[in-house]
Amino acid sequence: MSGRRAALAFWLFVGPFAAGLLAFTYVPIGWSAYLSFFDARNTVTPTEFVGLGNYADVLTDRAFLDSIGTFTVFAAFVIPTTVVLALALALLVNQVRVARAFFRSVFFLPFACSYVVASLVWKMSLFSGVDSGVANTALGWFGGQPQAWVGTVDPPLYWVVLVTARLWLQLGFYMILFIAALQRIPAHLYEAAWTDGASPRWQTFRHVTLPGLRGALVAVLTLNLINAYQAFDEFYNILGDSRGYPPFARPPLVYLYYTSLGSGGQDLGRGSAGAVVLALVIALATLLSGRVLRRAG
Amino acid sequence: MGVELDRRSFLVVAGLLGLTACGSNTGREGSAEGTLRHWYHAYGEDGVQDAVRRYAAAYPDARVEVQWNPGDYDSKIMTALQNSAVPDVFEAQVKVDWVRQRQVVPLGDLLGQTRDDFVRALLDSQTVDGELYGIPQAIDTQVLYYRPSLLEKAGLTPPWTVDELLDAARRLTTDGVRGLFAGNDGGVGVLTAPLLWSAGLDLLSEDGKAPGFDDPRAAEVFGKLRELHRGGGLLLGAPTDWADPGAFVDGLAAMQWTGLWNLPEITEAHGDDVGVLPFPRLDADGAESVPVGAYSAMVNARSADVDAAKAYVKWLWVDKTEYQTEFATAFGAHLPARRSLAERAEPLRDGPGKRIAELVTAGGRIASPARWSARANTALSDAVSRIAREGADPAAELRTALDVARDEIARLDR
Amino acid sequence: MRPPGYHRTPAGRVGAVARWAALVVAAALFLLPFAVLVRDGLGTGWSTAAEVFSGEEIPFARSLLNSTVVAVLQTAGQLLLCSLAGYGLARVPYRHAPLVLRAIVATLMVPTAVTFVPSFVVVSSLGWLSDLRGLVVPGLFSALNVFLFRQYFLDFPVSLEEAGRLDGLSRWGVFRRVVVPNSTGFFAAIAVIDFIGSWNQFLWPLVIAQDSSTWTVQVALSSLLTAQNPKIALLFAAAAVSILPIVLVFALLQRYLVRGVTETGLTG
Repeated sequence: MSGRRAALAFWLFVGPFAAGLLAFTYVPIGWSAYLSFFDARNTVTPTEFVGLGNYADVLTDRAFLDSIGTFTVFAAFVIPTTVVLALALALLVNQVRVARAFFRSVFFLPFACSYVVASLVWKMSLFSGVDSGVANTALGWFGGQPQAWVGTVDPPLYWVVLVTARLWLQLGFYMILFIAALQRIPAHLYEAAWTDGASPRWQTFRHVTLPGLRGALVAVLTLNLINAYQAFDEFYNILGDSRGYPPFARPPLVYLYYTSLGSGGQDLGRGSAGAVVLALVIALATLLSGRVLRRAG
Repeated sequence: MGVELDRRSFLVVAGLLGLTACGSNTGREGSAEGTLRHWYHAYGEDGVQDAVRRYAAAYPDARVEVQWNPGDYDSKIMTALQNSAVPDVFEAQVKVDWVRQRQVVPLGDLLGQTRDDFVRALLDSQTVDGELYGIPQAIDTQVLYYRPSLLEKAGLTPPWTVDELLDAARRLTTDGVRGLFAGNDGGVGVLTAPLLWSAGLDLLSEDGKAPGFDDPRAAEVFGKLRELHRGGGLLLGAPTDWADPGAFVDGLAAMQWTGLWNLPEITEAHGDDVGVLPFPRLDADGAESVPVGAYSAMVNARSADVDAAKAYVKWLWVDKTEYQTEFATAFGAHLPARRSLAERAEPLRDGPGKRIAELVTAGGRIASPARWSARANTALSDAVSRIAREGADPAAELRTALDVARDEIARLDR
Repeated sequence: MRPPGYHRTPAGRVGAVARWAALVVAAALFLLPFAVLVRDGLGTGWSTAAEVFSGEEIPFARSLLNSTVVAVLQTAGQLLLCSLAGYGLARVPYRHAPLVLRAIVATLMVPTAVTFVPSFVVVSSLGWLSDLRGLVVPGLFSALNVFLFRQYFLDFPVSLEEAGRLDGLSRWGVFRRVVVPNSTGFFAAIAVIDFIGSWNQFLWPLVIAQDSSTWTVQVALSSLLTAQNPKIALLFAAAAVSILPIVLVFALLQRYLVRGVTETGLTG
């Protein structure tokens, strides 16, 4: 096949997608980088060049730095909990013989639910501040005082609401990944371990199951990290209201939304600078975590 | 080896590409050409939505579609003004930024002889650089509602100073009833400006060229809000927020800071056992106040037909006085934006309604000045939230907010 | 796994009981939110649900329709564009193919946090705000899907394709008549994932769909949820209705969904 014809064939297959990717990913990123050097308040075609002004602004903006802090706290809660609980669910489901499909479906079902609907149930019912809210009723059984879950800042009870909502929504997804990985571990490895006298629970887990899950663990950690970075839906819907968003628990995406488009000032220049800084932070984090995971492995 | 797309598949691909390629128009898809899109925030009072849809349907010269926007309306407007031809007409309070970026159009020429009939302070609040950008629809005010019987039982008199308010909130708290409700954020959103006024300060200086809270008394008065939060008398986590009378009507709180618009529902629930107060003063150097909001009708400069939009605004908010009266007084209480209509307003003739009208005349303050930018507002309310809810150092927090406010003011004058 | 006969030992029995207890408790907790949704959403009777559709508060029926149209178009478009691209990358011996692949995969490293503001800028400049195109088109170009399709096609049996060639089919003909019909399971897996993702997406429609005639169901629900005075019964009824289609998809196509999740998660 001649090179020309191959090129033609290739672009007929790949061209439509590549053009779209160019238009809706590469062009926006370039445009954003451009905007970040301009005073782009309330406009997408700015004229006033401000150099690194937006970067200086954003890096001294406490709200921006707080948003990175919020992400860190959130990730520090959510990621380890997700890994441990998803793995526990996978092991449990994988070990029962009866009703395995039922349990798997039950834990997986929330994956199909939207963050908006989950936020609604969490905010208005499970963790509603009224005495008849589900969490407050449960507290009442144990003699606890009803709490204003979403509204309590000190101590920050809203984290309970945010974290449990996300866990419910995403545990099933990661459980499925772990189950798939568990089923790929060859049975003869277990048999060999038992023949060597490994205890059926802990030692087999430690020396056969865990090493067999390494690939899945890396995948779960990475996906979890990326997803935590994108957090927006449940924060916006649980903590936001008709007046906007409180100054705490603002993850990066919420910050960018309010800075660039929402009631925080329509400042696309600063929003773009923030996006560029975040991109660098993410690239750095991915690089570092990749290196750490490789070393651990 | 060739690549021969068969025809049908090729059309599918081409169709999809066409979807991406057939490019840039004005974004006015979705409804017939010539239709005006009119946005309102979601009024809580029953009947408003029906009424404004009725007005829109009655407009003879164009089709008008009303969009009701529950949720974060301010953010929605900001996003829309960015680059969208929708809405054509919307209600808001003008911001200098919108004028500088030519996102809204001047409407002064619509008033004609009626100009003198509108409440002067309202027109001024919607005026930037001598041009009027919004036609005031009605006056919204907020006041402190209380139950005289509960105060009496606790041996209290109505609070006229901030300290008395704090004391009352604490002492009115009994089993199942909290002393005061000012929103689920504990008043950060709605009490920030009244607190400044109570200390004799303001968001902006009188000429608008400097922040109005560069003063140690600002830290003092927000410290009082922190005390209120720590005192245990504040209702948080209520099923409805400050703008809804629910908490007060259902007896969850003995006092509530909420809108005049809720007066009918509140008097229906508590009968004569309702008192109203302005926001108290901090001390002799401060003043009592009631915040005045003035949602005004504005026209999006990117509207496909600015003239048609203006004509419609003139028809509804200048000419149709019977609609304006109904809008202000029939669904929850508002004060009409025009003096000739205020005289006819039924619910304001006696009782608490009359009292509130007097309070507005005596201590009404514009809650959202045009020169007070969104970013400055976010910075200040963030600071107040940290002070009140998290116990941060008032002086340090306010310094940060002051810096932002100064930046913003300087920017507007560039 | 456990050794044969382990479950009959005392330790095995205790373990089994504990395991069951844990599973049942966990299952109850996982079902609780759905139970609440059904209780508060449909427990007040169908009249509230009917009110959601007729009520003027939000254009709910319209938003369901919009969500359906967006999800169907987006799923179909992604399948078409991404499978084509994946096949080209896997099978056409083009000199610069590795470079193109790298350019595509590189975008996987760029999260939404970075692209959503600039994408808004581009889409608004095209005049696509409050427009179906603005909702659908930017979401069609999923680098992840291209990558998955490529991996899948790399493993596709070459012998089948060669048989097609011998029958005189062109490269396109082979793709259409041999590869696609033999890959329906994989296509279904990707489709289910895309459909659910598209139905549930929120941030993008929130900024793009400004005119309420273009609201998706998530935007409509969110506007009710963050309202000044949310009408709770209405809200729950609307939410319950909104998850019905997706629960249906889940129930009918779970097999493909599991496969899709495994593919996207472990390969991606």
